[in-house]
Amino acid sequence: MSALEVSNLVKRFGGLLATNELSFSLKEGESLGLIGPNGAGKTTVFSQIMGELRQNSGTIELFGQEISALPTSRRIRAGVSRTYQIPRPFGDMNVVENIRVGLMPDDIWRMIVSPPDIERERELALSVGFSEADLLRKPSELAMGDLRKLEMARTMATAPRVMLLDEVFAGLTVGEIAQISDLIQSMRKGGMTFLIVSHDLPALEPLVDRAIAIDRGTMIAEGAFSEVMNDAAVQASYLGGA
Amino acid sequence: MGLRRIHFLLWGGLIAGMLLLPQVVSSGTLRTMIFANYLAIFAISWDVLSGRTGYVSFGHPFLIGIGAYTTAILTKRFDVPIEISIPVAVLFTMAAGLLVLLPALRIRGSYFALVTLAFMELLYQLVQVIRPDLTGGTRGMSGIQTLTRGAANGYYLSTALMLSVAVSMWLLMRTRLGTALSAIGMNEESVRGSGLSTTRLKAFAFLMSALIAGLGGAFYVHYLGSLAPRAMFDINFLFTIIVAALLGGTSTIVGPIFGAFFMTFLLEYLRPVLPGAERYFVYGAIALIIYMYQPKGIFELAQRGFDRLRKASTA
Repeated sequence: MSALEVSNLVKRFGGLLATNELSFSLKEGESLGLIGPNGAGKTTVFSQIMGELRQNSGTIELFGQEISALPTSRRIRAGVSRTYQIPRPFGDMNVVENIRVGLMPDDIWRMIVSPPDIERERELALSVGFSEADLLRKPSELAMGDLRKLEMARTMATAPRVMLLDEVFAGLTVGEIAQISDLIQSMRKGGMTFLIVSHDLPALEPLVDRAIAIDRGTMIAEGAFSEVMNDAAVQASYLGGA
Repeated sequence: MGLRRIHFLLWGGLIAGMLLLPQVVSSGTLRTMIFANYLAIFAISWDVLSGRTGYVSFGHPFLIGIGAYTTAILTKRFDVPIEISIPVAVLFTMAAGLLVLLPALRIRGSYFALVTLAFMELLYQLVQVIRPDLTGGTRGMSGIQTLTRGAANGYYLSTALMLSVAVSMWLLMRTRLGTALSAIGMNEESVRGSGLSTTRLKAFAFLMSALIAGLGGAFYVHYLGSLAPRAMFDINFLFTIIVAALLGGTSTIVGPIFGAFFMTFLLEYLRPVLPGAERYFVYGAIALIIYMYQPKGIFELAQRGFDRLRKASTA
């Protein structure tokens, strides 16, 4: 059974075809790179998988369950979670409080009667590379790399089985890229399934088992990362080559 | 996040001080305190919804009005006992709260504020036109049964009600629910992206806010013994509630109480100097200065001063 199966996905914005009959699947524990030039429709695919945008047609299955009709919160509870290109922390909350929101049960009564799992909050924060001194820092005091780590930790707190990472290296220093890469690699070893979008191709390559390339919402290549990168159509659209 | 001894001491001190007050102040001051207590209840109600979730309601007098009119009509026109009419009024107000929730499922920001303002205006017009034999029409209602006699008893009742609401909300907002509601105000998409149903959380916030508004409105009308639509649905009344919450400090419970007392006494002490509506210019100016220099309100200012003192004493 596939972890994630996207079939014939179509999304139109007025006259613009943002996703065109897109189909791909991810096996459990696999890591897939999703590449394409700016405006190719990569984030739109993420948004449809998460239910933030509804597709015009096509199906999305998570571990064999059709999730297209579910709201975002139910999809997350079903096991898929995403990070955003621009981190979206809770500005007035510190690192552990941000993670607390991801750990909350979607049940008001349990939110009231059961206390926060402070040990788990701390453990998640440390697992993405925060130090003890960072735990009470607010997002305004964090660098971009730390904000991405916070986004990863909050996403991990929802206990996903499939993670969608959107431009996870954007705005990071070389050291921060290495830190996030190590984190992804260790999660891969733990069996996490990934779908990763990144413009930083050298950083992306070691993190994925294979890749798909899209342009104007249409898949133009699929296969091993190097094969996809050498594909003529990919070079023409994505790299601007001949 | 545990309950620290300082919290109990502060609340204990506040409660003891408020209980002893009628022994030392005049009945005029007590009446001002009664209004401040009810204003604090309304400001807490506004804060639970708007201060936390960021859905700024301009229609709180709509909710307060539903509570007040329901119990007033039930007791005066149908001889329903107060102990039944008040719970019914609260339930009616909660149902109205769900009505206000509907636009919040689609819109937020200034659009939401304007829609809620329209709710208030709609109720203002409706109570004057629809069944004036029940609502009293433009003149409102008088001779409504009161719950207490004398300023001291009115003060004790309003204080007990305000403190019950404040302590319950304080305890509730200290749980993860309070964190989730505040998170909605900071970034609703991220709350949804954390696997939480924001619709359910918002519905809870609207219901809680309506419950407090209905309770406050019902008790208030049984304190006044009369109900005037022009005063109930007055824009100044609405802004007094909002400014009290903002001035004191939103998302803090103590902040709105602080703001309500500050506002009430400020307006009261300005009355001999500025008897007209120009008093509102003064509080507008004070509010503006505090927002510019301390947007999180007086409570935050006091807390910072307290922290500074503590640091200085330990240094």
